[in-house]
Amino acid sequence: MFGFLIENNVVCHAVEAMVFASIACGILGVIISRMSLSSLGFTMSHAAFAGAAIGMFLGIGSQMAAIFFSAFVAALIGPVSDKAKMAADATLGVLFAMSMAVAIFLVSYMQYMGRGLTATNLLFGNVISLYREDIYALAAVSALTVIFVLAFFKEISALMFNMKIAEASGVRVKLVYYILLFIVAISVSLSLNIVGGLLIFVLLVTPASIASQFCFNVRSMFVAAPMIALSVSALGVWAGFKFTLPIAPLVALLLTFVFAISVILSFKRRINYKKY
Amino acid sequence: MSIIELNEIYTAYEGGDKPVIRDLSLSVKPGEYVVIGGPNSAGKTTLLESINGLIRITHGSATVCGLDLRRSGNEVRRRVGYVIQNFYFDPFTPFTVEEVVMMGRYGRMGLLKRPSRSDFEAVDKAIRLVGIEELAEKTIGTLSGGQQQKTMIAHNIAKEPEVMMLDEPFSNLDFNAREYLQGIFKNMAGNGTPILMVSHAFDGLPETRIHLVVMNRGRITYDNVCDADEVEPIIRDECAVV
Ligand SMILES: Nc1ncnc2c1ncn2[C@@H]1O[C@H](COP(=O)(O)OP(=O)(O)OP(=O)(O)O)[C@@H](O)[C@H]1O
Ligand SMILES: [Mg+2]
Repeated sequence: MFGFLIENNVVCHAVEAMVFASIACGILGVIISRMSLSSLGFTMSHAAFAGAAIGMFLGIGSQMAAIFFSAFVAALIGPVSDKAKMAADATLGVLFAMSMAVAIFLVSYMQYMGRGLTATNLLFGNVISLYREDIYALAAVSALTVIFVLAFFKEISALMFNMKIAEASGVRVKLVYYILLFIVAISVSLSLNIVGGLLIFVLLVTPASIASQFCFNVRSMFVAAPMIALSVSALGVWAGFKFTLPIAPLVALLLTFVFAISVILSFKRRINYKKY
Repeated sequence: MSIIELNEIYTAYEGGDKPVIRDLSLSVKPGEYVVIGGPNSAGKTTLLESINGLIRITHGSATVCGLDLRRSGNEVRRRVGYVIQNFYFDPFTPFTVEEVVMMGRYGRMGLLKRPSRSDFEAVDKAIRLVGIEELAEKTIGTLSGGQQQKTMIAHNIAKEPEVMMLDEPFSNLDFNAREYLQGIFKNMAGNGTPILMVSHAFDGLPETRIHLVVMNRGRITYDNVCDADEVEPIIRDECAVV
């Protein structure tokens, strides 16, 4: 896609992957941080990590296993919170711990058996050895995310405003909520071997937080967050290759840096006394 | 023909040890102005949320707007207005008053539809009726409690509901606003839309006959028509008995 711009094939793939991951995660981040579901990203990334570990352990594709396991965990969130009478956030905490335990258990076991070397990719990401298919899958999921938001814009806004009021007005809250959970699950599992389980959280939360410093309405947040995410991560990939630095942590640090600056500069907090 | 017909319903919260609403029957006809009174924790809010299916009734049958509540909860919620008792919007909620009022119509618009001209007209009308034109562009989280309450009332008026349920809608409102909004609700009832009003303050009730329902411990202890000036004494009386 960026082949005409970037000569080096490896760099090109890395930039493409980061751009697509940024679009999906940036958009989803706006929704989940507004719904106080930030820990969803955290839980999903660990569910994907656990799924990938299961996949490796069983010798089936780790990507597919990651998608299935995180979709499974996503499907648990609603019913578990309902049955246990807990806030979704607490449920996410429990499922996060479960996923982490499964992952660590299997990874340690595989290391013990002498076959755990590739697991580090899942934790820290690896933008260098990507396949075409990885990038197509990411492109598809970011397209899916954009379509989801465009198609269900009303319902998503109503959910972001207030779940109970949305439900009382007759919006199909559950349906949209479950679609959201599944899209997050898929996006996170696909982004897992690029940014890594530990840093994907940054892509979900930080761009949305930066956008919320400057944007007064949802529409602009949905545009700004992915734009911020993709420009910063493209910059990170470029700098990573140029100065041979680890890419995912570099992107995470850059985003945090931009966030800090945006908090300092945010005009939202400025009061114009002269006007009054 | 009743718009709301509840037949020996029970409602329990998930995990609750006993049903909050027990063996309750109620019938509301078009154009009625229903006042629901009773002490705290009597089950008034639970009754309203059983009527629009936000809480599942566990036993008994209920028909609202001609629909079986158990089967068509979502369709019922599209047609029944409900101003909730407690809400909190944080200051960074990125929605304007106008957007929030429009959300009242999201359910009835249906999935994948965009607001049409008639939706914008209804929103405009509701905002003007409630008198919050100057707030339309403001974000809701930065408004005062009373302004937010007016917005939620406009949200439900814009919905053009077939039944309007209000759970202490005046708790944050000043005297003028109460009187003015009571006038709007009286008009709605006059035009055939039944009003179900949970309230502890009874100034400005319509001079027409009122359908008074008094609840206590999950049951209805009084269900009859009366005059506006009788409402308060009857509730006092009913609640003193227990
Ligand atoms: N989510 C809930 N889970 C369990 N029990 C609940 C829940 N909400 C309410 N209850 C219980 O149901 C009973 C009735 O509550 P409800 O809110 O309907 O009372 P109310 O008549 O509206 O009171 P108020 O005048 O204080 O608003 C109370 O005993 C309350 O403890
Ligand atoms: Mg109540």
